[in-house]
Amino acid sequence: MPRFLHTADWQIGRQYPRFDPDDAVPLAEARLTAVERIAALAAEESVDAVFAAGDVFDAQTVSDRTIRRLFNAMAGYTGPWILLPGNHDAALAESVWTRAQRLDAVPDNVHLALSAEPIEFSEQGFVVLPAPLAQRHAQNDLTAWFDQADTDSGLIRIGVAHGSVQGVLAEEMEAHNPIAPDRAETARLDYLALGDWHGAKQINARTWYSGTPEQERFRGNEPGHVLLVDIASSGATPAVMTHFVGQHQWIQHEAALAVSSDVDALVSALQELPEGAVVDLKIAGTVDLEGKQALDRAISVAKARFRSLTVDDAGLRLQPSEEDIASLKADGYVGAVIAELQEEQSGENGEVARDAMAVLAEILLDAQGQGGGA
Amino acid sequence: MKLLRVSVNQLRQFRDPVEIRDLEDGINLFTGPNESGKSTLVRAIRAAFFERHKSSSVGDLQPWGDSAAAPEVELQFEWQGKIWKVVKSFLKKKRCDVSVDGTTYSGDEGDDKLADLLGFDLPKKGASNEKHWGIPGLLWIEQGAGQEIKAPVEHAGQQLKAALGEDLGEVASSTGDELIGRVSSERSKLLTGRGKPTGELSKAMDQEEELQAELHDLRERIQRYADQVDRLGQLRAEQQKADAERPWEQFRQQAQQAQQALDSVTALQKDQERDQQALSDCQASIETTRELLKGFESQKGELAERERQQQEANQKRTELEARKPAVEEALEKARRAHKGAREALKRAENAERREELERQQKDLEADLKRDSDKLERAKSLHARLLESRQKQQALALDADSMKQLQEAVRALERLDIQQKAVATRLQYDLQDDQAVTLDGEALSGKGESLLLEPGEVAVRGVGTLRILPGGDDVAEVARNQARLTDERDGLLQSLGVSSLAEAEQRLAEHDELAQAIEKDQSVLNELAPEGLDALSDDLKLRQDKLERLAEQVSALPAPQGEALSVTRAQAQVETAEEALESAEDAYQSYKNEMALADQALEKASQEHRRIKTALEDPKRSEQEKQAQNQLLERGAAERRFQQSIAERDLKIQAARPDALQQDVERFTRSAEAAERQLEERTRELDKIQAVLETVGAEGLGEKCAETEVQLERASRRRAELQRRADALDLLLERLTAHRLELTRRLQAPLQKHLTHYVQLLFPGGSLRVDENLIPEVLVRQTHGAEERGSFDDLSFGAREQMALISRLAYADLLSESGQPTLIILDDALVHSDAERLKAMKRVLYDASQRHQILLFTCHPENWQDLGVVAQSMEALKSA
Repeated sequence: MPRFLHTADWQIGRQYPRFDPDDAVPLAEARLTAVERIAALAAEESVDAVFAAGDVFDAQTVSDRTIRRLFNAMAGYTGPWILLPGNHDAALAESVWTRAQRLDAVPDNVHLALSAEPIEFSEQGFVVLPAPLAQRHAQNDLTAWFDQADTDSGLIRIGVAHGSVQGVLAEEMEAHNPIAPDRAETARLDYLALGDWHGAKQINARTWYSGTPEQERFRGNEPGHVLLVDIASSGATPAVMTHFVGQHQWIQHEAALAVSSDVDALVSALQELPEGAVVDLKIAGTVDLEGKQALDRAISVAKARFRSLTVDDAGLRLQPSEEDIASLKADGYVGAVIAELQEEQSGENGEVARDAMAVLAEILLDAQGQGGGA
Repeated sequence: MKLLRVSVNQLRQFRDPVEIRDLEDGINLFTGPNESGKSTLVRAIRAAFFERHKSSSVGDLQPWGDSAAAPEVELQFEWQGKIWKVVKSFLKKKRCDVSVDGTTYSGDEGDDKLADLLGFDLPKKGASNEKHWGIPGLLWIEQGAGQEIKAPVEHAGQQLKAALGEDLGEVASSTGDELIGRVSSERSKLLTGRGKPTGELSKAMDQEEELQAELHDLRERIQRYADQVDRLGQLRAEQQKADAERPWEQFRQQAQQAQQALDSVTALQKDQERDQQALSDCQASIETTRELLKGFESQKGELAERERQQQEANQKRTELEARKPAVEEALEKARRAHKGAREALKRAENAERREELERQQKDLEADLKRDSDKLERAKSLHARLLESRQKQQALALDADSMKQLQEAVRALERLDIQQKAVATRLQYDLQDDQAVTLDGEALSGKGESLLLEPGEVAVRGVGTLRILPGGDDVAEVARNQARLTDERDGLLQSLGVSSLAEAEQRLAEHDELAQAIEKDQSVLNELAPEGLDALSDDLKLRQDKLERLAEQVSALPAPQGEALSVTRAQAQVETAEEALESAEDAYQSYKNEMALADQALEKASQEHRRIKTALEDPKRSEQEKQAQNQLLERGAAERRFQQSIAERDLKIQAARPDALQQDVERFTRSAEAAERQLEERTRELDKIQAVLETVGAEGLGEKCAETEVQLERASRRRAELQRRADALDLLLERLTAHRLELTRRLQAPLQKHLTHYVQLLFPGGSLRVDENLIPEVLVRQTHGAEERGSFDDLSFGAREQMALISRLAYADLLSESGQPTLIILDDALVHSDAERLKAMKRVLYDASQRHQILLFTCHPENWQDLGVVAQSMEALKSA
């Protein structure tokens, strides 16, 4: 019984500008290790072929080294790989694919579906109908030719395409590279392997998006999966199974602080998030000096646990308590300045007032620390 | 505090005791000239307070040269209802007694008591200096130091701040100032004083900018790469199409077809050219033949014409022949007339000549006669002149001798007179005429004799009286007389005259003769200006001329009747000449005409003969016939050619050879262009392929993404630093502002007093002090606008005024907080103008309501209107 592995949107060569290089480099690296895991899974499951439905590379202009590293990462599976050009890596006159060929980096078991013609695997009993993008964006349905493609009647027909199934996805996704939702039916396909949608998604019994195997944004639609597809014989309904292969979870967390116990709650919430996650933390509300210090400590700890932690505390106001002010010995006109800044934190120039408050607290605490030490 | 009495002894100027008593509340004015002791008094008061009684550094207190003196000061003042008595003496007698309402503090205790009361320090050792003076240092102004305020305020700072309250100290010393220092230092790491980025912030901004530029560049390169990929795809598609269609082959074929069509038209064009040549040859031949025939025809007409011409020539010649005799006769007649006229002219000329000569003869004869008379007269005149000159010569006298003679005669006359004067006079009156002789001559009657020489008077019967004239004069006169007489006689002799009168007579005659000579000479000059000989020669010459004229007249032919005038005769000759000339011309032209007529006749005869011979030649008709046949034949050929050319021309035009030529070119070029395009495309493809391979290997996308990462980080860092900078900036601004506000608030009591005084000077004005209470900024209202001036920038006078105002304000402040105040002004406000001084007096008077003021001045006139009686230093000393 033929068994396939369906994946897509590897986006090799992707970088993460919004993260520190310390975090961004491992995140980029994770995309390659995802391919290694896919190869291992394919070998383990003894699949008959692996389909990568487009956007294998993130850009045409990735370096030669990156090209070679991808094909090296695929070495764990020696069966046939069918790689389809997507909108990021379209089969242009000169493309990442022609470069890979010129570099002689493509192993024999890897098939580059650069033109719209069937690739037959008679021994394994299936034929692949690819719909490669030959330009960045196509306005017409590139899978249309599947309908007319004649293949040996005994062979399982598998379509591979990259684009937006019409009428199913969010509107902004449908602008380019349209795919008819009933293509599997009209083209008598046993399975249509799709790429471009980054989450695993079933369109109909024979049509699936696998999603990206490694998450790369916070908006999550079941990312981090590959699909194991079993097709008993030509015409049989495929059995599709999702398989999680992702390494880093991308998590957005928001917290509103009002009382001191809110800080404790946030600290424990952070502790519960999985290790290696990419976390985007947004904090708003007010906090006194003690709370701020506790929060800073917790964030420092979390930074070490997570792959990446981004904190947005633009909405957080530092509100020193009476005790804080007393302990800071911020009497006289300094006290007046603190009161004024506190007042202004919620006003028009709130941000700079908040910053000024934080700096003031920092300097006073520092002076106090020095005083205490002396 | 009120000072009641001061007495000073053995102190500087005051070798003897001086006492000031009955000091008043308010202003006490002390006046006196320089060195009258004002400053000494001030020094004494200062010493009483500031100097330790034991101090050995107060030598300046002793009167000059008196090292044995013990300077002493006694003070009495009232403070808070108690009477303080201070007795201090220095150096030789060190003593200090301070008694307060009966309680006495002696020695150091007394010194300290005073220091505590007035708020100053005593030096541990040595003389007191301004650092120790505290409040009195501020309120007791030394001569010439009125404008100095900064140092005194600093030295009194503690007490002043204490008077304002404890909080003021808080402002400067609490954690606030340290905080401001920290914030300012942190801010300066990121921002310059003027708020420009510096340090890490500036570096972060530069880095961000650099990365942005880098990223921009990378993105551009990626875009270029993508564009080239598109171009590659386009070129590939074009190449495929060209390979399939091979357009250049089609163009070559089309060119070939056009060339074939063009070739066949070219053949037709050649035929056409040939026929056109033949046609034009044929037409030329027809023309020649026609000319020939026309020549034959015209010859026949010419013969008749020649005959007529011959006859005409003949006729003309005959006519000319007939005119010959008349022409010749006219010529002869003219010649004769001309000869006659010339002869008549000759005769007229001769007659005129004779007439002229005869007239000359007559004139000459008359001249000769007149000049002969003249010559005769001249000759006789000449003779008379000669005679006169001889006579004149005889009468001539030497002028010098004449002059000497005249002088000698005159001298003699003078001597004669002299002689009469000096001579001895012998006067007598004799009765007997015979009785007396003088030198032998008898004397008679009454008379007188002059004796120049010794004389003998003989008196008969008596004897002789010898008289000797006395003296040298008589002798000398006699001698001179003798000499001059000799001289005169000599001269008379040499001149040949007997007397001077004769000589003068001769001279008169001589002059008369000279005049006659002159007159005659002038007449002679007129008659014969060039002399007698010249006149006689001239006469002779004219005689000769007369003779020659006679000869000429006789030589001329004798006159024949009446002769024509010369003018008339000349006119007739000219007329005859003209007539002759025209007759000769007429004859000549007749001869020419005759020759021409002969020639014309000869020529006409020849032509006539020639044509006649030609027409009579037998070959000529044969030729004419031949020519006519040829003309017919050639005419037919011409029509044939014309038709064939017209037909062929239609064919050529229909084929459009020019268009065909263009087609050939166009298709050939198209083929070439297509091939070139193919080549160029191949080249471009290779080039782009090569470029893309190179650029692709660079991994621009990853570089771009990496740069984005870096830029993002740089931007974040910049934003963080910017935020920090903004925060620090805000913090610093707020802290400074609040601190200033607090200071202002704490200084308000002092400010109130300051404003009170300043507004007496400048309505609406105010004087700000800094946090150390030192005057800083003067604010005035000028012309409705606020004007600010830094204290240090004010004029010397204004600074002095403001400093005094500040001092008074400090005094008010101190007074309000229950501290004693005494104000001493030594020669204050000397730099103020009248207007300001007036205002300052109001200020002082106002202050004197609350404080006792001792004012010392050497300008009493400036302070008369202070409302107090001035005390003279002189009076004090003499009291």
